[in-house]
Amino acid sequence: MVEQWSTDEDMSHGFLVPIVILWVVWKDRERWRQLEPQPSWWGFALLAIGACMQFAAALGVGLFAGAVAFLVSIAGAVLCLGGFGWLRALAFPFVLGLFMLPKLAIVYNQATLPLQLLASRIAAGILTSAGIGVIREGNILDVGGHRVLVAEACNGIRYLLSLGFMAVVFGYLCDSKPWVRLAMLAAAVPVAIVANGARVAAAGWLPSIDAGVPHAVAGWLIFVACLAILVVLRHLFDKVYAHYQT
Amino acid sequence: MEVYYIPERRSRVKRFAALLVWSALSVGLNAQIALGPTVDTFGVLAGSTVTNSGPTVVLGNLGVSPGTAITGFTGIAPGGPGQVSGTINSANAFALQAQTELTAAYNAAAGAASTATVAGDIGGQTLLAGVYTSTSTLGITGTLTLNAQGNPNAQFIFQIGSALTTATGSAVLLINGAKASNVFWQMGSSATLGTTSTFAGNLLALSSISLGTGAVLQGRALARTGAVTLLSNTITAPAGLSGPPPPLVTPAPSSLILVFTALAGAGVYRSRKRLAKSFKFR
Repeated sequence: MVEQWSTDEDMSHGFLVPIVILWVVWKDRERWRQLEPQPSWWGFALLAIGACMQFAAALGVGLFAGAVAFLVSIAGAVLCLGGFGWLRALAFPFVLGLFMLPKLAIVYNQATLPLQLLASRIAAGILTSAGIGVIREGNILDVGGHRVLVAEACNGIRYLLSLGFMAVVFGYLCDSKPWVRLAMLAAAVPVAIVANGARVAAAGWLPSIDAGVPHAVAGWLIFVACLAILVVLRHLFDKVYAHYQT
Repeated sequence: MEVYYIPERRSRVKRFAALLVWSALSVGLNAQIALGPTVDTFGVLAGSTVTNSGPTVVLGNLGVSPGTAITGFTGIAPGGPGQVSGTINSANAFALQAQTELTAAYNAAAGAASTATVAGDIGGQTLLAGVYTSTSTLGITGTLTLNAQGNPNAQFIFQIGSALTTATGSAVLLINGAKASNVFWQMGSSATLGTTSTFAGNLLALSSISLGTGAVLQGRALARTGAVTLLSNTITAPAGLSGPPPPLVTPAPSSLILVFTALAGAGVYRSRKRLAKSFKFR
Protein backbone atom coordinates (compact mmCIF):
# COMPACT_ATOMS: atom_id res chain seq x y z
CA MET A 1 0.00 0.00 0.00
CA VAL A 2 2.80 2.39 0.95
CA GLU A 3 4.44 1.80 -2.43
CA GLN A 4 1.21 2.72 -4.20
CA TRP A 5 0.77 5.82 -2.04
CA SER A 6 4.25 6.95 -3.02
CA THR A 7 3.94 6.20 -6.74
CA ASP A 8 0.28 6.95 -7.52
CA GLU A 9 -0.70 10.60 -7.10
CA ASP A 10 -4.39 9.57 -6.94
CA MET A 11 -3.61 7.63 -3.79
CA SER A 12 -0.90 9.71 -2.12
CA HIS A 13 -3.42 10.90 0.50
CA GLY A 14 -3.03 7.36 1.89
CA PHE A 15 -0.09 8.64 3.95
CA LEU A 16 -2.44 10.97 5.84
CA VAL A 17 -5.25 8.48 6.43
CA PRO A 18 -3.49 6.44 9.19
CA ILE A 19 -2.57 9.71 10.93
CA VAL A 20 -6.19 10.85 10.88
CA ILE A 21 -7.33 7.41 12.09
CA LEU A 22 -4.90 7.50 15.01
CA TRP A 23 -6.04 11.03 15.88
CA VAL A 24 -9.71 9.96 15.84
CA VAL A 25 -8.93 6.93 18.04
CA TRP A 26 -7.03 9.16 20.48
CA LYS A 27 -9.81 11.78 20.45
CA ASP A 28 -12.43 9.15 21.30
CA ARG A 29 -10.24 7.40 23.84
CA GLU A 30 -12.55 8.21 26.78
CA ARG A 31 -15.48 6.61 24.98
CA TRP A 32 -13.82 3.30 24.17
CA ARG A 33 -11.88 3.19 27.44
CA GLN A 34 -15.17 3.17 29.35
CA LEU A 35 -16.25 0.06 27.51
CA GLU A 36 -15.74 -3.21 29.36
CA PRO A 37 -13.59 -5.52 27.21
CA GLN A 38 -15.63 -8.57 26.20
CA PRO A 39 -13.31 -10.65 23.99
CA SER A 40 -15.12 -12.57 21.31
CA TRP A 41 -14.13 -15.83 19.61
CA TRP A 42 -15.57 -14.37 16.40
CA GLY A 43 -12.40 -12.34 16.20
CA PHE A 44 -10.47 -15.50 15.33
CA ALA A 45 -12.89 -16.13 12.48
CA LEU A 46 -12.13 -12.66 11.12
CA LEU A 47 -8.40 -13.23 11.58
CA ALA A 48 -8.72 -16.50 9.66
CA ILE A 49 -10.61 -14.76 6.85
CA GLY A 50 -7.94 -12.05 6.79
CA ALA A 51 -5.19 -14.68 6.61
CA CYS A 52 -6.95 -16.48 3.74
CA MET A 53 -7.36 -13.20 1.85
CA GLN A 54 -3.70 -12.35 2.39
CA PHE A 55 -2.72 -15.82 1.18
CA ALA A 56 -4.89 -15.37 -1.93
CA ALA A 57 -3.34 -11.93 -2.50
CA ALA A 58 0.14 -13.42 -2.24
CA LEU A 59 -0.85 -16.06 -4.80
CA GLY A 60 -1.70 -13.32 -7.26
CA VAL A 61 -5.28 -12.17 -6.60
CA GLY A 62 -3.96 -8.65 -6.21
CA LEU A 63 -2.89 -5.84 -3.97
CA PHE A 64 -6.47 -4.82 -3.17
CA ALA A 65 -7.26 -8.21 -1.60
CA GLY A 66 -4.10 -7.95 0.52
CA ALA A 67 -5.03 -4.46 1.70
CA VAL A 68 -8.59 -5.55 2.60
CA ALA A 69 -7.06 -8.52 4.44
CA PHE A 70 -5.04 -6.04 6.50
CA LEU A 71 -8.20 -4.17 7.60
CA VAL A 72 -10.11 -7.41 8.23
CA SER A 73 -7.24 -8.71 10.38
CA ILE A 74 -7.18 -5.51 12.45
CA ALA A 75 -10.96 -5.81 12.93
CA GLY A 76 -10.43 -9.43 14.00
CA ALA A 77 -7.78 -8.38 16.52
CA VAL A 78 -10.08 -5.70 17.97
CA LEU A 79 -12.89 -8.27 18.26
CA CYS A 80 -10.57 -10.76 19.96
CA LEU A 81 -9.34 -8.22 22.49
CA GLY A 82 -12.36 -6.02 23.18
CA GLY A 83 -15.40 -7.64 21.61
CA PHE A 84 -18.26 -6.15 19.58
CA GLY A 85 -18.52 -3.08 21.82
CA TRP A 86 -15.01 -1.99 20.91
CA LEU A 87 -15.58 -2.80 17.25
CA ARG A 88 -18.70 -0.60 17.23
CA ALA A 89 -16.79 2.19 18.99
CA LEU A 90 -14.02 1.98 16.39
CA ALA A 91 -16.37 1.67 13.43
CA PHE A 92 -15.64 5.19 12.19
CA PRO A 93 -11.84 4.72 12.03
CA PHE A 94 -12.50 1.54 10.03
CA VAL A 95 -14.66 3.52 7.59
CA LEU A 96 -11.78 5.98 7.22
CA GLY A 97 -9.47 3.03 6.61
CA LEU A 98 -11.36 2.28 3.38
CA PHE A 99 -9.87 5.47 1.89
CA MET A 100 -6.34 4.12 2.14
CA LEU A 101 -7.14 0.94 0.21
CA PRO A 102 -5.55 0.79 -3.23
CA LYS A 103 -7.72 1.38 -6.25
CA LEU A 104 -9.64 -1.71 -7.30
CA ALA A 105 -8.25 -2.17 -10.82
CA ILE A 106 -11.39 -3.72 -12.31
CA VAL A 107 -13.54 -0.80 -11.12
CA TYR A 108 -10.92 1.86 -11.85
CA ASN A 109 -10.37 0.64 -15.40
CA GLN A 110 -14.10 0.58 -16.09
CA ALA A 111 -14.70 4.01 -14.56
CA THR A 112 -11.70 5.89 -15.97
CA LEU A 113 -12.80 6.46 -19.56
CA PRO A 114 -16.43 7.41 -18.70
CA LEU A 115 -15.09 9.86 -16.09
CA GLN A 116 -12.64 11.33 -18.62
CA LEU A 117 -15.45 11.79 -21.13
CA LEU A 118 -17.75 13.21 -18.44
CA ALA A 119 -15.10 15.76 -17.43
CA SER A 120 -14.63 16.68 -21.11
CA ARG A 121 -18.39 17.09 -21.60
CA ILE A 122 -18.79 19.20 -18.47
CA ALA A 123 -15.80 21.38 -19.42
CA ALA A 124 -17.17 21.84 -22.95
CA GLY A 125 -20.60 22.66 -21.47
CA ILE A 126 -19.13 25.24 -19.09
CA LEU A 127 -17.13 26.89 -21.88
CA THR A 128 -20.11 26.89 -24.27
CA SER A 129 -22.37 28.36 -21.56
CA ALA A 130 -19.77 31.10 -21.05
CA GLY A 131 -19.94 31.91 -24.75
CA ILE A 132 -16.51 30.46 -25.53
CA GLY A 133 -16.29 28.39 -28.70
CA VAL A 134 -15.02 24.89 -28.10
CA ILE A 135 -14.77 21.75 -30.21
CA ARG A 136 -14.81 18.51 -28.25
CA GLU A 137 -13.31 15.46 -29.88
CA GLY A 138 -13.76 12.67 -27.37
CA ASN A 139 -11.49 13.64 -24.49
CA ILE A 140 -9.72 16.43 -26.40
CA LEU A 141 -10.95 20.01 -26.20
CA ASP A 142 -9.97 22.53 -28.83
CA VAL A 143 -10.55 26.10 -27.68
CA GLY A 144 -9.58 28.32 -30.58
CA GLY A 145 -6.64 26.14 -31.52
CA HIS A 146 -5.54 25.66 -27.91
CA ARG A 147 -5.86 21.94 -27.33
CA VAL A 148 -6.31 20.28 -23.97
CA LEU A 149 -6.28 16.54 -23.42
CA VAL A 150 -8.31 15.14 -20.54
CA ALA A 151 -5.95 12.25 -19.79
CA GLU A 152 -6.42 9.32 -17.46
CA ALA A 153 -4.84 11.30 -14.63
CA CYS A 154 -7.42 14.06 -15.20
CA ASN A 155 -10.46 11.84 -14.75
CA GLY A 156 -11.44 13.37 -11.41
CA ILE A 157 -10.71 10.33 -9.24
CA ARG A 158 -8.22 12.46 -7.31
CA TYR A 159 -10.85 15.09 -6.45
CA LEU A 160 -13.40 12.35 -5.81
CA LEU A 161 -11.28 10.42 -3.29
CA SER A 162 -9.88 13.52 -1.59
CA LEU A 163 -13.23 15.26 -1.30
CA GLY A 164 -15.03 12.07 -0.26
CA PHE A 165 -12.50 11.51 2.50
CA MET A 166 -12.78 15.11 3.65
CA ALA A 167 -16.59 15.00 3.58
CA VAL A 168 -16.51 12.07 6.00
CA VAL A 169 -13.87 13.67 8.25
CA PHE A 170 -15.66 17.02 8.20
CA GLY A 171 -18.96 15.39 9.10
CA TYR A 172 -17.24 13.74 12.05
CA LEU A 173 -15.52 16.95 13.18
CA CYS A 174 -18.79 18.86 13.14
CA ASP A 175 -20.53 16.18 15.21
CA SER A 176 -23.16 15.89 12.53
CA LYS A 177 -25.85 13.26 12.57
CA PRO A 178 -25.03 10.03 10.71
CA TRP A 179 -27.45 10.89 7.91
CA VAL A 180 -25.78 14.30 7.49
CA ARG A 181 -22.41 12.57 7.17
CA LEU A 182 -23.84 10.25 4.53
CA ALA A 183 -25.52 13.14 2.73
CA MET A 184 -22.23 15.03 2.67
CA LEU A 185 -20.41 12.02 1.27
CA ALA A 186 -23.10 11.69 -1.41
CA ALA A 187 -22.89 15.43 -2.18
CA ALA A 188 -19.10 15.22 -2.50
CA VAL A 189 -19.47 13.04 -5.62
CA PRO A 190 -21.23 15.54 -7.92
CA VAL A 191 -19.27 18.44 -6.43
CA ALA A 192 -15.96 16.69 -7.24
CA ILE A 193 -17.06 15.75 -10.76
CA VAL A 194 -18.29 19.24 -11.63
CA ALA A 195 -15.19 20.79 -10.02
CA ASN A 196 -12.93 18.62 -12.16
CA GLY A 197 -14.85 19.70 -15.25
CA ALA A 198 -14.42 23.33 -14.18
CA ARG A 199 -10.70 22.76 -13.73
CA VAL A 200 -10.38 21.38 -17.25
CA ALA A 201 -12.51 24.24 -18.60
CA ALA A 202 -10.20 26.75 -16.90
CA ALA A 203 -7.16 25.07 -18.44
CA GLY A 204 -8.81 25.24 -21.87
CA TRP A 205 -9.95 28.83 -21.52
CA LEU A 206 -6.79 30.34 -20.04
CA PRO A 207 -3.62 29.06 -21.74
CA SER A 208 -1.57 30.82 -19.03
CA ILE A 209 -2.79 28.36 -16.40
CA ASP A 210 -2.76 25.18 -18.44
CA ALA A 211 0.56 23.82 -17.19
CA GLY A 212 3.11 23.93 -14.43
CA VAL A 213 2.72 25.79 -11.15
CA PRO A 214 -0.17 28.07 -12.28
CA HIS A 215 -2.14 24.99 -13.29
CA ALA A 216 -1.45 23.26 -9.97
CA VAL A 217 -2.46 26.40 -8.07
CA ALA A 218 -5.68 26.69 -10.12
CA GLY A 219 -6.50 23.05 -9.37
CA TRP A 220 -5.81 23.64 -5.69
CA LEU A 221 -8.00 26.78 -5.57
CA ILE A 222 -10.88 24.91 -7.20
CA PHE A 223 -10.51 22.21 -4.55
CA VAL A 224 -10.63 24.86 -1.82
CA ALA A 225 -13.84 26.13 -3.42
CA CYS A 226 -15.21 22.57 -3.22
CA LEU A 227 -14.43 22.50 0.50
CA ALA A 228 -16.30 25.79 0.93
CA ILE A 229 -19.27 24.25 -0.88
CA LEU A 230 -19.16 21.30 1.55
CA VAL A 231 -19.19 23.70 4.53
CA VAL A 232 -22.21 25.50 3.09
CA LEU A 233 -23.96 22.18 2.41
CA ARG A 234 -23.34 21.02 5.96
CA HIS A 235 -25.02 24.18 7.33
CA LEU A 236 -27.86 23.66 4.88
CA PHE A 237 -28.34 20.04 5.95
CA ASP A 238 -28.30 21.06 9.64
CA LYS A 239 -30.91 23.75 8.98
CA VAL A 240 -33.13 21.28 7.13
CA TYR A 241 -32.74 18.84 10.02
CA ALA A 242 -33.58 21.55 12.60
CA HIS A 243 -36.57 22.63 10.52
CA TYR A 244 -38.04 19.12 10.47
CA GLN A 245 -37.28 18.64 14.18
CA THR A 246 -39.38 21.69 15.09
CA MET B 1 57.00 18.22 -57.12
CA GLU B 2 56.56 14.47 -57.16
CA VAL B 3 53.69 12.76 -55.45
CA TYR B 4 54.20 9.30 -54.01
CA TYR B 5 51.14 7.03 -53.61
CA ILE B 6 51.47 4.60 -50.80
CA PRO B 7 49.41 1.42 -51.54
CA GLU B 8 48.16 1.11 -47.93
CA ARG B 9 46.94 4.71 -47.86
CA ARG B 10 45.21 4.21 -51.24
CA SER B 11 43.41 1.20 -49.82
CA ARG B 12 42.20 3.25 -46.85
CA VAL B 13 40.87 5.93 -49.20
CA LYS B 14 38.97 3.27 -51.13
CA ARG B 15 37.48 1.83 -47.96
CA PHE B 16 36.46 5.29 -46.77
CA ALA B 17 34.83 6.05 -50.13
CA ALA B 18 32.96 2.73 -50.01
CA LEU B 19 31.77 3.56 -46.52
CA LEU B 20 30.53 6.94 -47.69
CA VAL B 21 28.60 5.37 -50.60
CA TRP B 22 27.11 2.70 -48.31
CA SER B 23 26.08 5.33 -45.76
CA ALA B 24 24.45 7.46 -48.45
CA LEU B 25 22.57 4.44 -49.78
CA SER B 26 21.45 3.42 -46.29
CA VAL B 27 20.18 6.90 -45.59
CA GLY B 28 18.37 6.87 -48.92
CA LEU B 29 16.75 3.49 -48.27
CA ASN B 30 15.66 4.39 -44.76
CA ALA B 31 14.67 7.96 -45.63
CA GLN B 32 11.80 9.23 -43.56
CA ILE B 33 8.90 10.54 -45.56
CA ALA B 34 7.59 13.86 -44.31
CA LEU B 35 4.81 16.10 -45.48
CA GLY B 36 5.80 19.64 -46.34
CA PRO B 37 5.23 22.37 -43.75
CA THR B 38 2.14 23.72 -45.55
CA VAL B 39 0.26 20.51 -46.35
CA ASP B 40 1.13 19.37 -42.83
CA THR B 41 -1.37 21.90 -41.44
CA PHE B 42 -4.26 20.50 -43.50
CA GLY B 43 -6.80 17.99 -42.30
CA VAL B 44 -8.55 17.91 -45.67
CA LEU B 45 -7.18 18.88 -49.09
CA ALA B 46 -8.79 18.12 -52.43
CA GLY B 47 -7.98 18.71 -56.08
CA SER B 48 -11.49 19.39 -57.36
CA THR B 49 -14.11 19.72 -54.58
CA VAL B 50 -14.71 19.19 -50.89
CA THR B 51 -18.29 18.16 -50.16
CA ASN B 52 -19.73 17.64 -46.71
CA SER B 53 -23.07 16.53 -45.25
CA GLY B 54 -23.74 16.44 -41.52
CA PRO B 55 -21.86 17.74 -38.48
CA THR B 56 -18.33 17.00 -39.64
CA VAL B 57 -15.45 18.37 -37.55
CA VAL B 58 -12.05 19.01 -39.12
CA LEU B 59 -9.28 19.83 -36.68
CA GLY B 60 -6.76 21.45 -38.99
CA ASN B 61 -6.98 23.46 -42.20
CA LEU B 62 -9.24 22.62 -45.11
CA GLY B 63 -8.57 23.46 -48.74
CA VAL B 64 -9.07 22.79 -52.41
CA SER B 65 -6.82 23.52 -55.38
CA PRO B 66 -6.95 23.85 -58.37
CA GLY B 67 -10.73 23.37 -57.95
CA THR B 68 -12.75 25.91 -56.00
CA ALA B 69 -15.89 24.26 -54.63
CA ILE B 70 -16.23 23.69 -50.89
CA THR B 71 -19.73 22.89 -49.64
CA GLY B 72 -21.26 21.98 -46.30
CA PHE B 73 -19.03 23.97 -43.95
CA THR B 74 -19.67 26.94 -41.68
CA GLY B 75 -17.59 29.92 -42.73
CA ILE B 76 -17.81 29.52 -46.49
CA ALA B 77 -20.80 30.05 -48.78
CA PRO B 78 -23.30 28.43 -48.99
CA GLY B 79 -22.53 27.33 -45.41
CA GLY B 80 -23.37 24.11 -43.65
CA PRO B 81 -23.05 22.13 -40.45
CA GLY B 82 -19.38 21.22 -40.86
CA GLN B 83 -16.83 22.89 -38.59
CA VAL B 84 -13.19 23.60 -39.33
CA SER B 85 -10.81 24.55 -36.51
CA GLY B 86 -8.27 26.06 -38.90
CA THR B 87 -8.68 28.08 -42.07
CA ILE B 88 -10.69 27.28 -45.20
CA ASN B 89 -8.68 27.76 -48.38
CA SER B 90 -10.31 27.74 -51.78
CA ALA B 91 -7.88 27.87 -54.70
CA ASN B 92 -5.59 30.33 -52.96
CA ALA B 93 -1.79 30.35 -52.85
CA PHE B 94 -1.78 28.46 -49.55
CA ALA B 95 -3.83 25.58 -50.99
CA LEU B 96 -1.72 25.59 -54.15
CA GLN B 97 1.48 25.30 -52.11
CA ALA B 98 -0.12 22.47 -50.12
CA GLN B 99 -0.94 20.64 -53.37
CA THR B 100 2.66 21.05 -54.55
CA GLU B 101 3.93 19.56 -51.29
CA LEU B 102 1.32 16.79 -51.49
CA THR B 103 2.62 15.80 -54.94
CA ALA B 104 6.17 15.64 -53.57
CA ALA B 105 5.09 13.51 -50.58
CA TYR B 106 2.97 11.28 -52.84
CA ASN B 107 5.93 10.66 -55.15
CA ALA B 108 8.26 10.02 -52.21
CA ALA B 109 5.81 7.47 -50.76
CA ALA B 110 5.33 5.81 -54.14
CA GLY B 111 9.09 5.64 -54.67
CA ALA B 112 10.03 4.20 -51.27
CA ALA B 113 11.78 0.82 -51.45
CA SER B 114 9.27 -1.93 -50.64
CA THR B 115 9.97 -4.21 -47.70
CA ALA B 116 6.94 -6.52 -47.99
CA THR B 117 4.02 -7.34 -50.24
CA VAL B 118 0.42 -7.34 -49.05
CA ALA B 119 -2.74 -8.28 -50.90
CA GLY B 120 -6.50 -8.60 -50.49
CA ASP B 121 -7.70 -7.84 -46.98
CA ILE B 122 -5.18 -7.01 -44.27
CA GLY B 123 -7.73 -6.70 -41.45
CA GLY B 124 -6.87 -8.74 -38.38
CA GLN B 125 -3.12 -8.49 -38.99
CA THR B 126 -0.45 -6.78 -36.89
CA LEU B 127 2.21 -5.07 -38.98
CA LEU B 128 5.56 -3.65 -37.97
CA ALA B 129 7.19 -0.54 -39.47
CA GLY B 130 8.02 -0.87 -43.14
CA VAL B 131 6.97 -0.21 -46.72
CA TYR B 132 4.11 -2.46 -47.79
CA THR B 133 3.19 -2.81 -51.44
CA SER B 134 -0.10 -3.95 -52.94
CA THR B 135 -0.23 -4.17 -56.72
CA SER B 136 -4.00 -3.73 -56.89
CA THR B 137 -6.76 -2.94 -54.37
CA LEU B 138 -6.40 -3.33 -50.64
CA GLY B 139 -9.12 -3.83 -48.03
CA ILE B 140 -9.39 -3.67 -44.25
CA THR B 141 -12.10 -5.60 -42.43
CA GLY B 142 -11.95 -5.72 -38.65
CA THR B 143 -8.88 -4.25 -37.00
CA LEU B 144 -5.47 -3.66 -38.53
CA THR B 145 -2.83 -3.10 -35.85
CA LEU B 146 0.30 -1.09 -36.53
CA ASN B 147 3.02 -1.78 -33.98
CA ALA B 148 5.90 0.71 -33.68
CA GLN B 149 7.71 -1.46 -31.10
CA GLY B 150 8.51 1.61 -29.03
CA ASN B 151 10.21 3.48 -31.85
CA PRO B 152 8.64 6.97 -32.07
CA ASN B 153 10.05 7.44 -35.59
CA ALA B 154 8.67 4.16 -36.97
CA GLN B 155 7.02 4.76 -40.34
CA PHE B 156 4.39 2.67 -42.05
CA ILE B 157 4.07 3.27 -45.78
CA PHE B 158 1.40 1.50 -47.83
CA GLN B 159 1.79 1.65 -51.62
CA ILE B 160 -1.56 0.64 -53.08
CA GLY B 161 -1.83 0.15 -56.83
CA SER B 162 -5.44 1.22 -57.10
CA ALA B 163 -8.03 1.67 -54.32
CA LEU B 164 -8.16 1.30 -50.55
CA THR B 165 -11.50 0.25 -49.07
CA THR B 166 -12.32 -0.27 -45.40
CA ALA B 167 -15.35 -2.14 -44.13
CA THR B 168 -18.08 -0.80 -41.87
CA GLY B 169 -16.83 -0.53 -38.29
CA SER B 170 -13.26 -1.43 -39.21
CA ALA B 171 -10.33 0.15 -37.39
CA VAL B 172 -6.65 0.93 -37.69
CA LEU B 173 -5.12 0.62 -34.25
CA LEU B 174 -1.78 2.27 -33.40
CA ILE B 175 0.21 0.63 -30.63
CA ASN B 176 3.59 0.90 -28.90
CA GLY B 177 4.29 4.46 -29.93
CA ALA B 178 2.98 4.34 -33.50
CA LYS B 179 1.90 7.79 -34.62
CA ALA B 180 -0.78 8.67 -37.14
CA SER B 181 1.57 11.29 -38.56
CA ASN B 182 4.02 8.50 -39.46
CA VAL B 183 1.51 6.37 -41.38
CA PHE B 184 1.16 7.01 -45.13
CA TRP B 185 -1.42 5.43 -47.42
CA GLN B 186 -0.49 6.15 -51.03
CA MET B 187 -3.27 5.12 -53.43
CA GLY B 188 -3.04 4.91 -57.21
CA SER B 189 -6.71 5.87 -57.42
CA SER B 190 -9.04 6.40 -54.44
CA ALA B 191 -9.79 5.64 -50.80
CA THR B 192 -13.16 4.78 -49.29
CA LEU B 193 -13.56 4.52 -45.53
CA GLY B 194 -16.53 2.46 -44.35
CA THR B 195 -19.36 3.72 -42.15
CA THR B 196 -18.30 4.28 -38.50
CA SER B 197 -14.81 3.03 -39.24
CA THR B 198 -11.85 4.42 -37.30
CA PHE B 199 -8.84 5.10 -39.44
CA ALA B 200 -5.34 6.42 -38.76
CA GLY B 201 -2.76 7.90 -41.08
CA ASN B 202 -2.30 10.25 -43.99
CA LEU B 203 -4.42 9.32 -47.00
CA LEU B 204 -2.53 10.39 -50.12
CA ALA B 205 -4.87 9.64 -53.04
CA LEU B 206 -4.21 10.34 -56.68
CA SER B 207 -7.91 10.94 -57.32
CA SER B 208 -10.64 10.91 -54.66
CA ILE B 209 -11.34 10.14 -51.00
CA SER B 210 -14.74 9.29 -49.51
CA LEU B 211 -15.51 8.88 -45.82
CA GLY B 212 -18.61 6.88 -44.85
CA THR B 213 -21.12 8.18 -42.32
CA GLY B 214 -19.56 8.66 -38.90
CA ALA B 215 -16.09 7.51 -39.94
CA VAL B 216 -13.31 8.94 -37.78
CA LEU B 217 -9.96 9.78 -39.32
CA GLN B 218 -6.99 10.48 -37.12
CA GLY B 219 -4.83 11.82 -39.90
CA ARG B 220 -5.35 13.67 -43.15
CA ALA B 221 -7.49 13.21 -46.25
CA LEU B 222 -5.35 14.56 -49.10
CA ALA B 223 -6.52 14.08 -52.69
CA ARG B 224 -4.37 15.32 -55.55
CA THR B 225 -6.82 15.61 -58.44
CA GLY B 226 -10.28 14.53 -57.28
CA ALA B 227 -12.83 15.22 -54.58
CA VAL B 228 -12.99 14.62 -50.87
CA THR B 229 -16.48 13.63 -49.72
CA LEU B 230 -17.40 13.74 -46.03
CA LEU B 231 -20.46 12.50 -44.11
CA SER B 232 -20.64 13.46 -40.41
CA ASN B 233 -16.96 12.67 -39.82
CA THR B 234 -14.27 13.72 -37.40
CA ILE B 235 -10.87 14.38 -38.89
CA THR B 236 -7.99 15.25 -36.61
CA ALA B 237 -4.78 16.30 -38.32
CA PRO B 238 -2.02 14.88 -36.13
CA ALA B 239 0.80 17.07 -34.93
CA GLY B 240 3.59 17.09 -37.45
CA LEU B 241 6.10 19.67 -38.58
CA SER B 242 3.73 22.56 -38.02
CA GLY B 243 0.36 20.92 -37.48
CA PRO B 244 -1.90 21.53 -34.53
CA PRO B 245 0.11 21.46 -31.30
CA PRO B 246 -0.12 18.32 -29.19
CA PRO B 247 -2.84 18.65 -26.57
CA LEU B 248 -1.81 19.55 -23.06
CA VAL B 249 -2.45 17.06 -20.31
CA THR B 250 -4.19 18.51 -17.28
CA PRO B 251 -3.76 16.37 -14.15
CA ALA B 252 -5.03 17.68 -10.82
CA PRO B 253 -2.64 18.32 -7.90
CA SER B 254 -1.74 15.15 -5.98
CA SER B 255 -4.30 13.92 -3.47
CA LEU B 256 -1.70 14.30 -0.70
CA ILE B 257 -1.60 18.08 -1.27
CA LEU B 258 -5.39 18.26 -1.57
CA VAL B 259 -6.14 16.32 1.61
CA PHE B 260 -3.37 18.05 3.56
CA THR B 261 -4.86 21.42 2.60
CA ALA B 262 -8.32 20.24 3.49
CA LEU B 263 -7.22 18.91 6.89
CA ALA B 264 -5.51 22.20 7.66
CA GLY B 265 -8.67 24.01 6.59
CA ALA B 266 -10.83 21.73 8.73
CA GLY B 267 -8.57 22.39 11.72
CA VAL B 268 -8.92 26.14 11.25
CA TYR B 269 -12.69 25.81 10.77
CA ARG B 270 -13.00 23.78 13.95
CA SER B 271 -10.95 26.29 15.96
CA ARG B 272 -12.57 29.34 14.35
CA LYS B 273 -14.27 30.54 17.55
CA ARG B 274 -11.10 30.20 19.62
CA LEU B 275 -9.08 31.93 16.92
CA ALA B 276 -11.63 34.75 16.67
CA LYS B 277 -11.52 35.20 20.45
CA SER B 278 -7.72 35.41 20.54
CA PHE B 279 -7.75 38.00 17.74
CA LYS B 280 -10.34 40.07 19.61
CA PHE B 281 -8.33 39.85 22.82
CA ARG B 282 -5.28 41.26 21.10
